[in-house]
Amino acid sequence: MITGERKPLSEIKEMVAPFKKILVVGCGTCVAECASGGEKEVGLLASALRMDARMEGRKVDIKELTLDRQCVFEFIDQLTDLIDQYDAILSLGCGAGVQAVAEIFPEAVILPALNTTFIGETKEAGLWIENCRACGDCKLGVFAAVCPITRCAKGLFNGPCGGSKDGKCEADANTPCAWQLIIDRLDKRGQLDLLQKIYPPADWSRQQGKGPRKIHREDQEI
Amino acid sequence: MNQKDAGLDITIFFCQRFDKDQDTNRRALEKELGSKIKFFPLPCSGRIEPLHLMRALETGADKVYLLACQEGACRYLEGSIRARKRLAYTQGLIEEIGLEGERLELINVTPENHMTIDELARELLAREATVSLSPIKAVISNEY
Amino acid sequence: MKYESRLKKVLAAGHFAVTAECGPPKGAEPAVIRRKGRILKGFVDSVNVTDNQTGVVRLSSLAACALLKKEGLDPVFQMVTRDRNRIALQSDILGASALGIRNILCLSGDHQSFGNQAQAKGVFDIDSIQLIQTVRQMRDEGKVLGGEPLSEPPHLFIGAAANPFADPFAYRVIRLGKKVAAGAEFIQTQCIYNLARFKEWMKRVRDRGIDEKVYILGGITPLKSARMAEYMSKQVAGMDVPEEIINRMKSVPADKQRQEGLKIAIETIEALRQIKGVHGVHIMAIEWEEAVPQLVGLAGLYPRPY
Repeated sequence: MITGERKPLSEIKEMVAPFKKILVVGCGTCVAECASGGEKEVGLLASALRMDARMEGRKVDIKELTLDRQCVFEFIDQLTDLIDQYDAILSLGCGAGVQAVAEIFPEAVILPALNTTFIGETKEAGLWIENCRACGDCKLGVFAAVCPITRCAKGLFNGPCGGSKDGKCEADANTPCAWQLIIDRLDKRGQLDLLQKIYPPADWSRQQGKGPRKIHREDQEI
Repeated sequence: MNQKDAGLDITIFFCQRFDKDQDTNRRALEKELGSKIKFFPLPCSGRIEPLHLMRALETGADKVYLLACQEGACRYLEGSIRARKRLAYTQGLIEEIGLEGERLELINVTPENHMTIDELARELLAREATVSLSPIKAVISNEY
Repeated sequence: MKYESRLKKVLAAGHFAVTAECGPPKGAEPAVIRRKGRILKGFVDSVNVTDNQTGVVRLSSLAACALLKKEGLDPVFQMVTRDRNRIALQSDILGASALGIRNILCLSGDHQSFGNQAQAKGVFDIDSIQLIQTVRQMRDEGKVLGGEPLSEPPHLFIGAAANPFADPFAYRVIRLGKKVAAGAEFIQTQCIYNLARFKEWMKRVRDRGIDEKVYILGGITPLKSARMAEYMSKQVAGMDVPEEIINRMKSVPADKQRQEGLKIAIETIEALRQIKGVHGVHIMAIEWEEAVPQLVGLAGLYPRPY
């Protein structure tokens, strides 16, 4: 899932300050799962903004709407008949959602209320952790299903740096050393010899490409 | 001055396990105080959502109580703990807009008291008012 | 090729090598480098110049190496992969060689969050082992990454670091083997205070025959005070300062602690000279370059062969 965190209210307030009629738009997919941009969070933000405006004596009209998915046209289309009624859309979608909406409505003001954070898993209730950087060249098969690009602070491909201590990372003592995890997993499988091989420099063009990457499949076209 | 005399609008979310006759017991008080008091029974305090607390404040409550069982005495084990964390989170949200966090308050009810919901509410109403009328409500009454 | 690596010459001739470390200033003054160079000159074979160590901005390692070279020293250009991508790394490798620098130490570098630029983007395009491989390929095959030929290869003696005190211990020797397989010709280790663990590591190194393929220089950092010992033990990533060393430093009065630190360093050097497979010492006297001539003299490593 793509995770996000709500921006500080002060930053959101500054963005929406010029606008009187605002539609807060959530997304019911990834950011709902990580409790940052779903229907509940839309309600909380809209409520906070309305109360804030009242306290400051400003008259604003803030409405709420949550799309099932903010990054797919079929769902964004729900906004088509509404969007002209608002001065701005305050999106609680991820960066992809914000831009997808903006692309469909070229005249509209679309503002991000979230900081899109990472691709990760729900580790436990209230805890999300990053575990994929979408490098475009997955080698989890080589690294015992622990991604060193994401989970090693230095993204090392050839074993732990000199800062690995008691299974923890030198950059953050609360984070497990990814290489300790890799070694432990390979050790259990009796595959430590895999680590003797020197892993060559990564092909970052698969991640950075020539600007935004694209997946195009003719079989999926209508 | 106590909260009742100060004219505060009070909203009470509560775990209905305190008082199996809560539906009947709160009627007299509701009749007496009208819109000055609102009750919202919950099957467990852990079912509270930050949004409930926000909406209560947005619609004019001066003070919102969440009545939960003691931690450790919750029938659903973690309900009271969740209630505490969610209330604290919501306090953070309202403080961001400059509203006092103490407008939201968690009360852990001691079961030995065997108090009915109206008795509990009267006790709360008799408490010293520590917040004034909500600035949000002041605007609502101006507008409408 | 006009110059040769002095370090390589010393090691190849079978001498016990001595290298030291020079941290560049947090400013643009060349005089600091020259002063440090003059203190060390004649007492060590080569001088490492750190590359923005701990992520703190300092005068560049490459420039400081060039200044030391002019002073007649044999610099070891430390290069971390934290700050440059493969284009910049390879470019600076060529630049170093063109400036007459003949040694390089390939490192990944301390994480950027430790320094005074915590908001910097950590590059880590390649890692230290891949950097070793890259220099080796440039030098021996005359090719950059991707295979394009160089008009002139860089002339560099290639080194790497090893930390026998980091975890997981069993993997540390495998990792050393990887660095050697990648093309490292000399190794400088993390500061040694825990001799027992270092000896165990060396035994495992010898068991794998790695000491026959690479020159290993043991790291020495003379302690300035008991406080420094405690700080290093607790605050510095990848450092192992046993309690007995801290207690020994504490057991002498504050004004005698530097002397005690030197004594410990000399004893460690003497112990290292007895370990099979240890080919020299790397003295990292942090902001205490004056200690190096003293240490080298007292340890009986003066004069130097070349």
